[in-house]
Amino acid sequence: MIKKIEDLNFYELLEVSPAATSQEIHKAYERVRRVYDPNSIALYSLFTPEETVVINQRIEEAYRTLVYEDNRKKYDAMLRDRHELPDIPPPPRPGLKYQPRPARTPATVQKENQLAVTSPDAPATPRPVQEEAAPVPPFIGEFTGPVIKVLREQRELSIRDIADMTKVNARYLELIEEENFKKLPARAYIRGFLMLYAKAIGYDPERMASDYLKRYDAATGFPHSLRKKQEV
Amino acid sequence: MLDLQDALRKKEIWAIGGGKGGIGKSLLTGNIGICLSRLKQKVLLVDADLGGANLHTTLGIGVPEMTLSDFLNRRTENIQDIVIKTNIPNVSLISGAQDFLDAANPNFAQKTRLLRHLETLDADYILLDLGAGTSFNIIDFFLFSDHGILVVLPEPTAIENAYRFIKSAFYRRFKKVVTHQGIKDLIDAAMDQKNTMGVRTPYDLIEHVRTLEREVGEILELEVLKFRPKLIVNQVRTKNDIQIGFSMKSACQKYFGINLEYLGYVEYDDCVWQSIRSKRPLTIEYPYSRPSRCIERIVHNLLRKEQLTLSTFY
Repeated sequence: MIKKIEDLNFYELLEVSPAATSQEIHKAYERVRRVYDPNSIALYSLFTPEETVVINQRIEEAYRTLVYEDNRKKYDAMLRDRHELPDIPPPPRPGLKYQPRPARTPATVQKENQLAVTSPDAPATPRPVQEEAAPVPPFIGEFTGPVIKVLREQRELSIRDIADMTKVNARYLELIEEENFKKLPARAYIRGFLMLYAKAIGYDPERMASDYLKRYDAATGFPHSLRKKQEV
Repeated sequence: MLDLQDALRKKEIWAIGGGKGGIGKSLLTGNIGICLSRLKQKVLLVDADLGGANLHTTLGIGVPEMTLSDFLNRRTENIQDIVIKTNIPNVSLISGAQDFLDAANPNFAQKTRLLRHLETLDADYILLDLGAGTSFNIIDFFLFSDHGILVVLPEPTAIENAYRFIKSAFYRRFKKVVTHQGIKDLIDAAMDQKNTMGVRTPYDLIEHVRTLEREVGEILELEVLKFRPKLIVNQVRTKNDIQIGFSMKSACQKYFGINLEYLGYVEYDDCVWQSIRSKRPLTIEYPYSRPSRCIERIVHNLLRKEQLTLSTFY
């Protein structure tokens, strides 16, 4: 059965499997967005500008729905109702060190953290009502240390996991998240670490590194002339 | 994954087209043929570019005495007479028409006669080098083959023509399977982009046909799934150019519902131009050049019925 673009479900639109991890979804989103960019020559003569706008809106919608665990669960349930998705969740993929796991919204992360803190015999402290906590991405304004930390936690990855994946010392990863610029090694090394870190959590390495280093430069007063030379 | 040895046993016809002129169709046909011959296959190259034949030149052969026009105009009855041995082992050639204007436009009977006789020839692979454009002759050869291969350059003009080619091939295929005259007329009308029925994409057409005749609509849908053209991106210079193949695959899936298979890309290199200037085939003159390597990879993908995937690329 072939379908029109309007009838594709979000997984089909982003060309990912319903079992995809949030990293995979993010990568697919970046790729599909590049394909349907209004200036993409691969589309030349195929779609009208109006159609391209509509497709891009749907891609954004798909990404925003799938990248958050809560939204995705709701959407999956809806697909199951329409029998577009098998009822049983797919089995864990063998050979994958980090099993597929959708990103969680900051609200859920916070809730779980609080649950962990309150031990059973401690007096029940009134939990602050903060369900609608500050939404961070999908559209990250800037990759700062704390933002990177949130992104990592959303994926349920510890510093240790990232260190295993990237082979970057956990201490340096912590310093990056803390934005402890004085203790971090030379700028060129930080750039390398950031690129690896970005890949591990599924964000654009170039963007994350350049965003972060802008803050680094501003804080350390890295001379402009030197910066140019290093980046060439 | 199919075993390479298994894949090598069957006789197949591959057609190489692409709509636009000057995008390397003849060059790729010749060199894919040479790569196959190195795998101990008997290859027959057929210059089906009836109006502007020059496959012989890319193989370094002068203007041949006997060409396709001699066979089409019945100056010879035996197709063996027009097969030319090349100096490359296992590669033979049927050169394209050189004279007669009308030879460039064979009628349907002439075409079927040619195709029927081609199949009797002793060869493991028959490669058809199609001309530029989207005329019925070219489309028919493309549809007749086992594998239709499209060549594009990473340029808007070539991509526009490639989509046009796919659309023409697609609708002509539709017309072949439909017997009802009313629906044939509908398909003709749908080819016109500014038609009044609101049929813009192949989906619209199938929907439209389905409302008229349910069964025919289902047959057309099956045809869409069976139609699997292959894609080669030629003259790539950057990583983004390679990406275009994946993008076209995605766009084709979403616009036409067609499964376009991305066979591979060929890198841009001056050695290609030099080999054409010296009238010696690229894969013989520069066997270790990057474009030659790319062509070898394409041949392997074709034989194994595989295609490039994003994971092999990244």
